[in-house]
Amino acid sequence: MKKVEKADAEKYFKLRTIMIFSFILIALLVSFGVVTFAEFFSQFTFMGAPLHYYMGSQGAIVVFIVLLFLNAIISDRLDAKFGVDNATNERIVGGQSMDQ
Amino acid sequence: MDTQTLVSVGMILVTFVIYVGIAIYTRSKETAEFYVASRGIPPFWNGMAIGADWMSAASFIGMAGTVMVMGYDGLPYIMGWTGGYLFLTFLLAPQLRKYGRFTVPEFIGDRFNSDVARVIGALATVIISFTYLVGQLSGSGVVIGRLFAIPTWAGVLLGVGIIAIYATLGGMKGVTWTQVAQYLILITAYVVPIVFMSLQVTGNPLPWLTYGNIVDEIGAIDREIGLTEYFAPFSESTQSQFLALMFTLMIGTSALPHVIVRFYTVTTMKAARWSGAWALLFIGILYLSAPAYAAFSRFILMTQVAGQPMGNLPSWVDRWVDTGLLSVADTDGDGILDWEEIAVAEDMVVMATPEIADLGMFVIGLVAAGSMAAALSTAGGLLITISSSIAHDFYYRILRPDASDKKRLNAGRIAIFIATIVAGLLALDPPGVITQIVAWAFAIAGGTFFPVLFLGVWWKRMTTQGAIAGMLVGLATTLSYIFLALGGFTIFGIEDTGAGVFGVTINFLTCIIVSLSTTTPSQEKQDEVVDLRYPEQMTYKDGEVWIKEEDYKS
Repeated sequence: MKKVEKADAEKYFKLRTIMIFSFILIALLVSFGVVTFAEFFSQFTFMGAPLHYYMGSQGAIVVFIVLLFLNAIISDRLDAKFGVDNATNERIVGGQSMDQ
Repeated sequence: MDTQTLVSVGMILVTFVIYVGIAIYTRSKETAEFYVASRGIPPFWNGMAIGADWMSAASFIGMAGTVMVMGYDGLPYIMGWTGGYLFLTFLLAPQLRKYGRFTVPEFIGDRFNSDVARVIGALATVIISFTYLVGQLSGSGVVIGRLFAIPTWAGVLLGVGIIAIYATLGGMKGVTWTQVAQYLILITAYVVPIVFMSLQVTGNPLPWLTYGNIVDEIGAIDREIGLTEYFAPFSESTQSQFLALMFTLMIGTSALPHVIVRFYTVTTMKAARWSGAWALLFIGILYLSAPAYAAFSRFILMTQVAGQPMGNLPSWVDRWVDTGLLSVADTDGDGILDWEEIAVAEDMVVMATPEIADLGMFVIGLVAAGSMAAALSTAGGLLITISSSIAHDFYYRILRPDASDKKRLNAGRIAIFIATIVAGLLALDPPGVITQIVAWAFAIAGGTFFPVLFLGVWWKRMTTQGAIAGMLVGLATTLSYIFLALGGFTIFGIEDTGAGVFGVTINFLTCIIVSLSTTTPSQEKQDEVVDLRYPEQMTYKDGEVWIKEEDYKS
């Protein structure tokens, strides 16, 4: 066991928090945001359909999927940057006694 | 039996043989296999299993029809049932995985160090999952009944028998790999007909790119005959109901015990994040296709059926009129069938598409097998969840903490078997409209669990009393609002299906107020919560973070 610098540990948590907050904010804007101003967005057209309809039936879902993959990829990079190795994580989990 | 029925029955039987075969091959021999598949499912396959677990008979058969009938106001289902995966994957799943238990009630009981909280959690889990299960079983009964022209009860019994066999045998491990097979069957069955329909209507095989124009054309036809445009916002419901329903479905999705437990089947927090991403991609394929089904079906009904002389309707119209799902009546007696004279049941849209697009009997059989896969896979996941609440949380954690592995496994199997039979009997005579009951399950899940899980994972000041009060008050608020709304009392025009807004808010407030007015938790408990912010390799202790490195150097 090695001690992680306090500043590093706090930075890790802060970066993750910022990322998750921004992703949730984007997700809320494309879903609840667009619905709240549906009348306004209905004057635009995207891929043949009125924009508010497009966002509800396709746009928001595509954004959700992209955000989830970004979260997985960025989190992996962040872990690597802070010296976390997934193989070690798996070994640690494999030895957990609470699974018995 | 005609040839079509034989082909459909044959295809469904082949898939049943596959499911039971997988369950026998992956038979669980120990408790960790039975409840969490030994935590060894790779994220990609877990994503597919989550997809099959998630997409029920209602998603497969009903959702496209709902969007077709409600237009824009049917879209909270599409956004709510997908958006929940963000809250789940960002805020709950990896942290719950690191905490490392078998079930949601077990997390609540251990995190708050209280058997009272554990029992409330287990009871709520059983109520939510059972409500949902009854809907699945009656859904599958309706499918079988309609396809084979046998009574619905016989269909229910057939479905119940199959599920009981493979869930009892395989446990979570068997159910997971069966669900992977079921996902592949149901998504093929959903996408094939809509690709051909898109090709016929627009000349392009990718419905996701083309149906926007069709939506626009439907709007133009609506304007012509003097109706509200298909895509006009808030014509079928109010804006506040739209937002409340979407919120309820999103938060409910992220707090459903049978979905959360699927994240316990992977190895690490990293695997939990990837499972969430793959799951929503696989689920998204169906949710992105549903509005295309809605648009093409409505377009065909408006252009090829409406406006035709009564004697010149396409041949599939008669067959669906016979099932009672479609009605065409020339009420004004002018010999022409007007759009207003057509009434379509929501459940018809997906099932009828292969016939409307004239795709032949194998595709019709495939859609039948796909809808059975959707109902059975969800029912399998629900049964494991009910069984683990009873056999693990009640029997093992509270009644018999000294029970041997073999005894616990048997208790799990017996619980599944009894739950299947009880749910099957209830499904013979469901206590209400299926889609409505399912929406209540989401409101109850969100209102009871979401704030307690979220604060339990992120807020170290959260206390046992706060958790117990939050769950009880949240559950009571949600149930009261559902009953009040059914009785005609609503706030801001929000109906019973949007009850989650009130349950979740009041649950959050209760948790925070009660926690702050009770004693601060022990330092050890607080450290346990801060520890969840870091990956497995890092440990939080006494204000410092430690990283394990011994394996890493060698």
